[in-house]
Amino acid sequence: MDLLAKLAFALYTLIIVTGAIMAVASGTLVRALLGLIGVMIGVAGMYLLLAAPFVAFMQILIYVGGVSVLIFFAVMLTRAAPNGDESSPGPRGRGLYALFALVVPAVLLSCVIVKHPASAISRPVEVGAVRLGEGMLGPYVLPFELISLLLFIAMAGAVLVAWRKWGRK
Amino acid sequence: MGEKMTPLTLFQLVGLFLICIGLFGLVWRRTLVGMVIAIELMINGAGLSIVAAAQLTPASAVLGQLGTLFVMGIAAAEATLILAIVLLAVRRFNTSRAGELSGLKG
Repeated sequence: MDLLAKLAFALYTLIIVTGAIMAVASGTLVRALLGLIGVMIGVAGMYLLLAAPFVAFMQILIYVGGVSVLIFFAVMLTRAAPNGDESSPGPRGRGLYALFALVVPAVLLSCVIVKHPASAISRPVEVGAVRLGEGMLGPYVLPFELISLLLFIAMAGAVLVAWRKWGRK
Repeated sequence: MGEKMTPLTLFQLVGLFLICIGLFGLVWRRTLVGMVIAIELMINGAGLSIVAAAQLTPASAVLGQLGTLFVMGIAAAEATLILAIVLLAVRRFNTSRAGELSGLKG
């Protein structure tokens, strides 16, 4: 990697680490959501470093533009407590379990990644959007169509689930 | 050790960090929306790992990038459904804390 690429990698890593810690540890959900948006933008920068600009712009379009707005709506519609939903003490041992869930896969998987690196090429090759589109309509047309079907079913199902009147005997 | 770290290893370590801290948040958070945020962190880490493995190894780059795009589509569908389910739970129980959703219908 060149020096500039190393600097950009360090910057994006810093954004991702800060955002991730903010997303899991901050007291109010809106701040957590801002941390999540920071993580998404950092990951989009990582995609740009990996020479995948189409995926990077899709990441910004879908995640920052779509999913985060959905989660904002969820925060708004769930009547958050005024002093922050996550500020009251939780059940005992919660921190211990959470730390366990963090440490065990981290140690195991990072040992695997560092000890047995895959045969890597050092410089990524950019694949244009034309070849991605050819792949989408050529060999991978079935998953492409299934995704559209899945999206339609999910939207229709969401409307159906939220439409039913609960509590009406 | 610093000399032996390939770029692929570095990118995969960042993806692993996102997945593990998402798992931490999933256990740590008490509200349903906080859990959704942790799940989105994990999905982002998985996408980063897939694209890094596709771009920095001799594997098919088109397949990896399309796989990540499909993961994004599934994540969008999943977020929609989760929003509807959370709305339903809040309407039913008047809270979005996971520990208080303990009533059974009967």
